[in-house]
Amino acid sequence: MPDSEEQLLVMRDIMDSQLETRDKRHIGRVADIEAEWRDDGKFVLVNIVTGPEALTGRVASRLRPMARFLLRGHFEHRIPLSDVENFGPTVRLRKKAQDYSVGQSDRWIADHILRWIPGNGR
Amino acid sequence: MKKWFGLALGIVTATGGFLDAGTVATSGEAGAKYGLGLIWAILVATVAVILLVEMSGRFAAVSKKAYASAIREEFGFKFYLLPLLSELIAESLLLAAEIGGIAIALSLFTGISWHYLFPVAALLVWIMAWRAPFSLIENGPALLGLLTLSFVVAIVALGGLPKELLPTLWKPEIKSGELADYLYLVAAILGATISPYLLYFYSSGAREEKWTEGSLLLNRVTAIVGMGFGSLGSIALVVLGAIVLQPLNISSSTLGELGLAMAKPFGQIGAFLFAAALFATCLGAALEVVLAVSYNIAQGFGWEWGENKKPVEAPRFNLVLLLFLLIAVGIGLLGMDPLQLALLASTVIALFLPFSLSPLLVIMNDQDYLGNKTNGRFINIAMIVILIIAFLVAIVSLPLEILSGGG
Repeated sequence: MPDSEEQLLVMRDIMDSQLETRDKRHIGRVADIEAEWRDDGKFVLVNIVTGPEALTGRVASRLRPMARFLLRGHFEHRIPLSDVENFGPTVRLRKKAQDYSVGQSDRWIADHILRWIPGNGR
Repeated sequence: MKKWFGLALGIVTATGGFLDAGTVATSGEAGAKYGLGLIWAILVATVAVILLVEMSGRFAAVSKKAYASAIREEFGFKFYLLPLLSELIAESLLLAAEIGGIAIALSLFTGISWHYLFPVAALLVWIMAWRAPFSLIENGPALLGLLTLSFVVAIVALGGLPKELLPTLWKPEIKSGELADYLYLVAAILGATISPYLLYFYSSGAREEKWTEGSLLLNRVTAIVGMGFGSLGSIALVVLGAIVLQPLNISSSTLGELGLAMAKPFGQIGAFLFAAALFATCLGAALEVVLAVSYNIAQGFGWEWGENKKPVEAPRFNLVLLLFLLIAVGIGLLGMDPLQLALLASTVIALFLPFSLSPLLVIMNDQDYLGNKTNGRFINIAMIVILIIAFLVAIVSLPLEILSGGG
């Protein structure tokens, strides 16, 4: 693994990596990235994107508008670069799980579906 | 000391993975039709599975990642979809077959038709998967799986292996026109035994057990002892099939028939033991299959997962598990005999085998994950041989099934 001081990153270190929060919870995987090509010539990674819309776009770019139409951005989440502690097969994030909107599906399922099943551990 | 209870992981993986509705039936049928002439296929499959299981365990112990995570991280989302989709199709059929096997075992105990017991069996699987910690899921079926030793006892009770059968070990008697059927059983045995779901289950199990680099010896022992144990049970069934069924010219087409026929020499006790062994192996297999798929999806998409977590701590994982079980119940209620379902599932698995196994070869040589614990040259060569076998099995499975009329 490259030393984090002078890391030369490749897509492999970023794409599809596991997103892990500071409290060691898994909230998904990197589905896509958003980068800016600035006027001063710098190409900068701005956001990590996760969610089914971005994933659909990775499979086939034609499908992306369809996914946007169906899901309307509700499940799309952006995590700014400033939240990233390090890259690699597991991308560690600085904040706790509750600070991120992604992973709310887990909570929703726990609160609305699993609660009806005895023994769910709530 | 506690680490060595992890050996149970190997035994249950074998009990469920090696011995299940499919292998119980194909082994009995193999013995009934060709005497000992298919044991070499079981041995080849055993060696392959030992290697595959050791590798996936080593990977999980060192990299702290399970197989599905590694596939997505190594190859990207698009490629990950391929093994995922093949698993979804194949394992939904297989899970239905395993639940059917449990139902048949229960029907042998109670006399109620297995069709009615099917939902009961599914409920049992779900209850265990829902609340039982991983250790119970390992140890429960593993202990019950020791019942398969009764097959060995049965052989001894019947007077041991008749000498006339020994030549069939290297010279199977294949009558003319039966070659397609023989080769189909070879492919079925290989496909039923070298099941990708073992890799997802075992590597995730290693994570549940929190294996580390210090667990590598345990991993090796577990793989060998566990799979060896399963192989023993399979071979015992072949021999039993040869001794009991072949003279009667019975070649079973349903699991129930097989059980009754094999239990005949042993009366009530035999029937009970066979039913109990069938129950244990199919329960173990059902749990493994449903967990393997749930692990696959949760890990592939990066969700929380784990049997050692409360359901609300891993909601999507548990929801997927429930949904997949319901799909299997739906398939099962269509009424197909579990044996036929298991053979169909094996054919589908065999078709996709190369795609499910190839990632392992790449992953096991990735130093970013494994440091200095990557594959040695010998294991890499062995892995390539396994992949070649997988390709051959994939190509011939479907044509052979059609040619031989589905076994």
